[in-house]
Amino acid sequence: MLTLENLSKHFGGVRAVDGVTLTIREGEIFGLIGPNGSGKSTTVNLITGLYTPTTGTVTLDGWDLTAMPQHARTSRGVARTFQNIRLFGNLTVAQNLWVAQNGHEQRREHFLSRWFKPGGEHGASVDELLQFSRLYSKRDVLAGNLSFGEMRRLEMARALASNPRVLLLDEPAAGASQEDGQLLAERIRAVRDRGVTVLLIEHMMELVMGITDRIAVLNFGQKIAEGTPREIQDDPQVRAAYLGSGHDEKMERASA
Amino acid sequence: MDPYLVSVLSNIGLFSFLALSAWILLLGGEISFGQQAYFAIGAYAAGIASAVWAWPFTAAVLWGAVLGAGIGALIAWPAARFTGVHYAIATLAFAELTRAALNVFHYQRDVDGYLTGPDGANGFGDIRWVYEAGIEPGPYLAVIATLLLAVIALIGLAARLDVMAQLRMVGEDPILAAMQGVRVLRWKIGAAAAAGGLAGLGGGLYAHFATYVEPAQFSVMTGVHAVAYGLIGGLGTALGPILGVLIDIGLLESLRALAAYRMIVFGGLVAIILILRPRGLLDETLVAKVRAWARR
Repeated sequence: MLTLENLSKHFGGVRAVDGVTLTIREGEIFGLIGPNGSGKSTTVNLITGLYTPTTGTVTLDGWDLTAMPQHARTSRGVARTFQNIRLFGNLTVAQNLWVAQNGHEQRREHFLSRWFKPGGEHGASVDELLQFSRLYSKRDVLAGNLSFGEMRRLEMARALASNPRVLLLDEPAAGASQEDGQLLAERIRAVRDRGVTVLLIEHMMELVMGITDRIAVLNFGQKIAEGTPREIQDDPQVRAAYLGSGHDEKMERASA
Repeated sequence: MDPYLVSVLSNIGLFSFLALSAWILLLGGEISFGQQAYFAIGAYAAGIASAVWAWPFTAAVLWGAVLGAGIGALIAWPAARFTGVHYAIATLAFAELTRAALNVFHYQRDVDGYLTGPDGANGFGDIRWVYEAGIEPGPYLAVIATLLLAVIALIGLAARLDVMAQLRMVGEDPILAAMQGVRVLRWKIGAAAAAGGLAGLGGGLYAHFATYVEPAQFSVMTGVHAVAYGLIGGLGTALGPILGVLIDIGLLESLRALAAYRMIVFGGLVAIILILRPRGLLDETLVAKVRAWARR
């Protein structure tokens, strides 16, 4: 459903993303991994429209997103979270979700109906999202005054509020404990079960290997492998990328 | 009512329009040091309309507001692509340009045997519609207050329809706002138009209150004060900037004992409040708490 075709982004002489081709299928949890600086976040920024690609295209359900502005991609069903949490700190928890939904162009017809459900009586879908992310009791608190874990949950809820077809999670486990990681895995599965396709960018291997259906590996901006978690774990190129090439030879020399 | 009190209250009301104008832009994430230009445009446009063209007062003031909004949108169209310091400088440059243009703007026509209209740096007197219609300062204060209340009610309506929250989204994080489907540039231009219109409305009312305006009244300091009102009073509600005006004009300027030290005290106050309460006295946290409490 989400297809990247020969996607590249060059910053001067640096090829941050270099000819990546990927197809993510509807309803799967797809992992995108790679060492630091391999182009994962740049890829996300190309999909969401924060960057314009040097070459290549991004299509979702056959719609060419490549030249679309960000707000138009959102209404086509692309949503994301950020590696460093981004929320509207001076808006309440409910407003972070509620506004996000109504800022959505397809829902403009509801504009005047908001008069009848102001403040506390948010739409049913917002209430549901607040329950889903266990933030209902905090709905009138300013987002900037939440705890770190609550902010993470709110960020995912905020992304879901725009009713996406595909959700891009950029290192959602960053700063989370092992225990939080378990809860996060459940949460990501729950998102998938809502019918949202998930693209997961993550460093925590345990999480990625545990919940993804398929994985692609980037190194120096190029895709070096794609397959099931098992296939990826056994791939020699992936091992080389993570452990450093020449690893085996050095080991052999050392033991000789 | 005591004439001095009426004049102080009128000034508070008039500068509240300017403070709200700067406040709207602050919510949209921009600091403008140029809102006094729209105040001047409104004052001159409304003054010319009523004194030279003999338009009725309502039409003249409305014309000032419309012109302020239109020029605000026109300037924002390129300027909204700037952020932070660059935007502040762009607005400052525009305001100084406007003031310099008014200094050489001559548009005097014969009205009942007298030359009436803007006369460059000599200013623009005889904006006498209100006095000729026999409206005393007291009732005119009621006009100012009614219009100000109408504006606050309109902002309240906008808040209830979630318009203000979307503007705050654009102000806080335009990239995230765009991700959430908000058309950022459109909001920024809209905010600038609303801000220009508000300042223009205040300017038109001011010209008819003072009967005399001159370019020197619309200096940078006026614009800096307008921004400071919101920062002192608070960004959480429309009452914030008005509280800022009350503190400055109501307390510092009007208590005669303090008047000589006004600038010193005001500057110190801004510094202290920005340290202790970075988003003003009535900030978002306080407003959210009050709202949550009221809902109970």
